[in-house]
Amino acid sequence: MKKMLYITLGIITSVGGFLEIGSVTTAAQGGAAFGYQLLWAILLGTICLIFLVEMSGRLSAVSKHTIVEATRERFGFPFFFIVLVGMVLISFLVLVAELGGIGLSLQILTGIGFPWWAIPVSFVVWLLMWKGTFTLIENGASLLGLVTLSFVVAAVRLHPDWGNTAHGLLPSFPGDQKARYWFLAVSILGASISPYLMYFYSSGVIEDDWDESYIPINRFISTFGMSLGGFLSMAVLVVAALVFQPKGINIEKFEQASLLMTTALPKWGFFLFAMSMLFACLGAALEISLAIAYFFAQGFGWNWSEDLAPSRDARFSFTYTIIIMFAAVPLLFGVDPIRVTIMSMALTSATLPLAIVPFLFLMNDPIYLGEHRNGWVSNTVVAIIVLISFVLAVISIPLEIIGG
Amino acid sequence: MNRVLGIGHNVNQVSVKRLLVISVALVAACKFPTPAEQMDSLQSWLATAGMVGDAWLRHTTPDKYSRQTLELSHETLLQLSSDLLRSPPHSVDSATLDDVLTRSREHVARMARLIEAKDAPDFARQLDSLRVDEKVVKRLSDRIRSTP
Amino acid sequence: MKLVRDVLDKELLDREEEPMGRVDGLVMHVGKNSQPRVTHIDIGGTVLWERAHPFFGRLSRRLARQWGPRRNEQVRIPWSRVESVGRDIKLDVEAKGTGAIDWEIWIARHIIEHIPGSGHKEAGDGH
Repeated sequence: MKKMLYITLGIITSVGGFLEIGSVTTAAQGGAAFGYQLLWAILLGTICLIFLVEMSGRLSAVSKHTIVEATRERFGFPFFFIVLVGMVLISFLVLVAELGGIGLSLQILTGIGFPWWAIPVSFVVWLLMWKGTFTLIENGASLLGLVTLSFVVAAVRLHPDWGNTAHGLLPSFPGDQKARYWFLAVSILGASISPYLMYFYSSGVIEDDWDESYIPINRFISTFGMSLGGFLSMAVLVVAALVFQPKGINIEKFEQASLLMTTALPKWGFFLFAMSMLFACLGAALEISLAIAYFFAQGFGWNWSEDLAPSRDARFSFTYTIIIMFAAVPLLFGVDPIRVTIMSMALTSATLPLAIVPFLFLMNDPIYLGEHRNGWVSNTVVAIIVLISFVLAVISIPLEIIGG
Repeated sequence: MNRVLGIGHNVNQVSVKRLLVISVALVAACKFPTPAEQMDSLQSWLATAGMVGDAWLRHTTPDKYSRQTLELSHETLLQLSSDLLRSPPHSVDSATLDDVLTRSREHVARMARLIEAKDAPDFARQLDSLRVDEKVVKRLSDRIRSTP
Repeated sequence: MKLVRDVLDKELLDREEEPMGRVDGLVMHVGKNSQPRVTHIDIGGTVLWERAHPFFGRLSRRLARQWGPRRNEQVRIPWSRVESVGRDIKLDVEAKGTGAIDWEIWIARHIIEHIPGSGHKEAGDGH
């Protein structure tokens, strides 16, 4: 009975916690620019994420190590340090984008510019970390995030041609604007396959005290939870394709994206969008702050747990406090969160191998996983998708920079 | 031996210089969007203003957001127009282009002010004019695209 | 026991099973006629940063000379204090006394506990 509850809660939190500013922005841009053509990128990214999340849970449940702990112990400090720097830098950029997303949501609701919201928003995020427990954060933010289901409602109400949308699930080559197409594909992949999710999930498994008996649950939650989440991303793309593409609107600013659901849901669409972004970005901001703090604490062997009072894990608490403070700074100066989002999503794709390659080694190590090591399917799927993301990123990012 | 080295050294210098020149030319050539791309951006923001206008008339977006987004559209259109007209495309008459872009910007600006006044009928008239301008811009854009 | 695989970078727990860092370095004694053996475990400090890159080692030395709760002293635990080596390494010491968690205590006392809601009790320590 308890396990049934776990499964239900796990799926709900996966769905509610899936969308954030990266997935919404990239899906909206993709739909507006190329219609249904980029649905395959969301599908590919989601499949990869399912495998990665399942693996994260399995590693931690069986070995009782988080990914970070296992990386440090298996590969030694010098290599770990490189991964730390890479992952923390990228995650920090994403955190700036998420805090900015909360600020932008408040901006369109109140008319007060997002730089003014930088400090209050960071304070609230910090306060939730300071006073909250892991369960509160994980479940609370995700339950609120269920408002993002409104994207699915909007998509259905617009009566898309389901045949055409299914077509978009197969990779296709663009007619023109090739550089932009591949860059968006890369950004969508980076938005779906976020390494911070892996580190957060694996720490959560340890915080929740899972063991080998949870492996089937873990598989179920990761498969269904992430699939439904990916479905949400696709809904955003479909709505953008139906609403923006016919008008020739390219999404460059949050204000444009805010119109996403006003056609399908005239009465509530605008507010549902604002609330969806607010809660989705809030949940993501909490997860990323925790993930970065976990990276330092677990890597250096500090006391760490979101369930401990801050004075009991001082360095851990200090880390997330500093991180959140610094993340507010670019927003204070008016740096556009959408720009940061797009850049960080593409950079995520480019640096995926740094996170995933050592992780795959761990997943095949009998010392950590015994008989629960990866099968050839997991290894192959993840390796291929990450390779695709990396190659596309390396090619398309310079092209996008050159193309302005 | 020195002579051989001397020649080798010169060849390397020439190759590096050539590579640098090509790179700079490439970057310089690629850095700015083409007229067709600039027209696309203009159309995108005109359509945005139109969509916001529609949404406000149907009471699906709040006043503050609608006004601020129209002002943002106006700002962006101004920037895009001045970039485009700095080196106008040869296939269209730049005076005509300037004319329609200025007119559409004025409509957007007026729409923003009419939101404050909550004047829906006048707003609707401006929106209709904006739609007409959009069509003109689209025609000009098609002409630019079709000309190599 | 394979030192790199089983000892280096492993988490250290004290007598009360509280984390006190990781095995960031090992000190070995190489005698003329005897097998090399591990004499000490190094925690944190310059030893750790030296492993990342000599540049960081130099930087760490320079900073350690200026400030920090333990100026210029490397935290070193005798190997004789090791109770068991498994998933973690259990030591027969009290973390506070070794200096391994000086930074933790310093940050708790000087920063965290001044912020309301930190869960700091007046009686007892902040760790």
